[in-house]
Amino acid sequence: MIKSIEEYLELLKTELQGSDAATVQDALSDAEDHLRAALVNLREKQPEVSEEAALDQIIEQYGSPSETASAYVEVERRTIPQLSRAHINNESVLSRFFGVYTDARAWGALLYMLIAFVTGVFYFSWAVTGLATSISFALFIFGLPFALLFFISVRGLALLEGRLVEGLLGVRMPRRPLFTQQNLKWLDRLKELAMDRHTWFSILYMFIQFVLGTIYFVLFVTVLSFSLSFIAIPFIQEILGYGAVMNNNIRYYFPTWSYPLLVFGGIFLWTAFMNLARGIGQLHGRMAKALLVTD
Amino acid sequence: MVDSPALTRKFQKELNAGIASLVLLSVLDKTKKPMYGYQIAKLLEDYSGDASFMKQGALYPVLHSLENSALLESKVEPSVSGPPRRYYAITSEGRETLVVWQGVWKQMKSFVDKAIKGA
Repeated sequence: MIKSIEEYLELLKTELQGSDAATVQDALSDAEDHLRAALVNLREKQPEVSEEAALDQIIEQYGSPSETASAYVEVERRTIPQLSRAHINNESVLSRFFGVYTDARAWGALLYMLIAFVTGVFYFSWAVTGLATSISFALFIFGLPFALLFFISVRGLALLEGRLVEGLLGVRMPRRPLFTQQNLKWLDRLKELAMDRHTWFSILYMFIQFVLGTIYFVLFVTVLSFSLSFIAIPFIQEILGYGAVMNNNIRYYFPTWSYPLLVFGGIFLWTAFMNLARGIGQLHGRMAKALLVTD
Repeated sequence: MVDSPALTRKFQKELNAGIASLVLLSVLDKTKKPMYGYQIAKLLEDYSGDASFMKQGALYPVLHSLENSALLESKVEPSVSGPPRRYYAITSEGRETLVVWQGVWKQMKSFVDKAIKGA
């Protein structure tokens, strides 16, 4: 017989071994919410029933850990994140290369690379400010509550980032906040958060995102402007009549025979970058999963 | 010997796989306010009476998957007692889908009824 909600969650976790880490986190969070709500409700209605008996009754209705686990596994098997649906590739290398334009994952990754710049700057400032103020306030009485608030905000941001990663990169991430015990005193809560490597991995991610976000953004802007310039050269020279390159006040012209090459070069460069972006997106998703999802 | 309770459970589970989505969408369509998981489970308990058709724990993954397909949306709100709760509401896409699904269910029901009766 299961004696406490914590025990149920432990058993459920064991049952879900081998499942996607994000699924496990969702399942634990759902079960905890439900069991606590049901327990409070039942104890109010029938205060004479012991907690153990009440829990027994609730679990009977909710389902044993193995029943619950199989329900999640079953549904998870049928739902795949939108963008992760693999393309069937039996086409030539060329059509696969240019087929990137029809791949939603490539566009998602491209958008993510732009957003990563903004989120990266924000995460970095948030993490630095939070850490610095928590440490310096530690001299005063309000340092600890401040640190608690900061750690909680890190958890929230990790969940939010997970939603972004799943939406744009198609990597399955948790949809529910991480399960935390509710009946802890705030000091214990702080200790629990500070001892949890998940918190520190999330902070590490916030720093890494700053560096990566900047690199992604620079890459994006550089490649985009090069590609567009190449494609634009014939039009500038023919329609506006300017030489495309200017050096020491002398305008240089590209010869007419090079126009097709320039336009093709521009398109090729951008297509290559789209392919690269898709790869980067997958790698970034894997890193996010490793750092932001507990196992 | 045939292990009939186990077979029946398996049959029940397979039936539930599709019906749960229909039931959850219908419940959330009927109620005007968003509901949280435990509330939905309680309501279904009232509907099913003594017979329990599905474990409450099995409702949650279905809620997730409906949300993932944009048929439901959810938001977390603080509660007076205990942890914050996730409230689910049906989306307009969900309502449209529900109409289609109810049609499918009606046809399915009459088909199964005819098959059982043999008429």
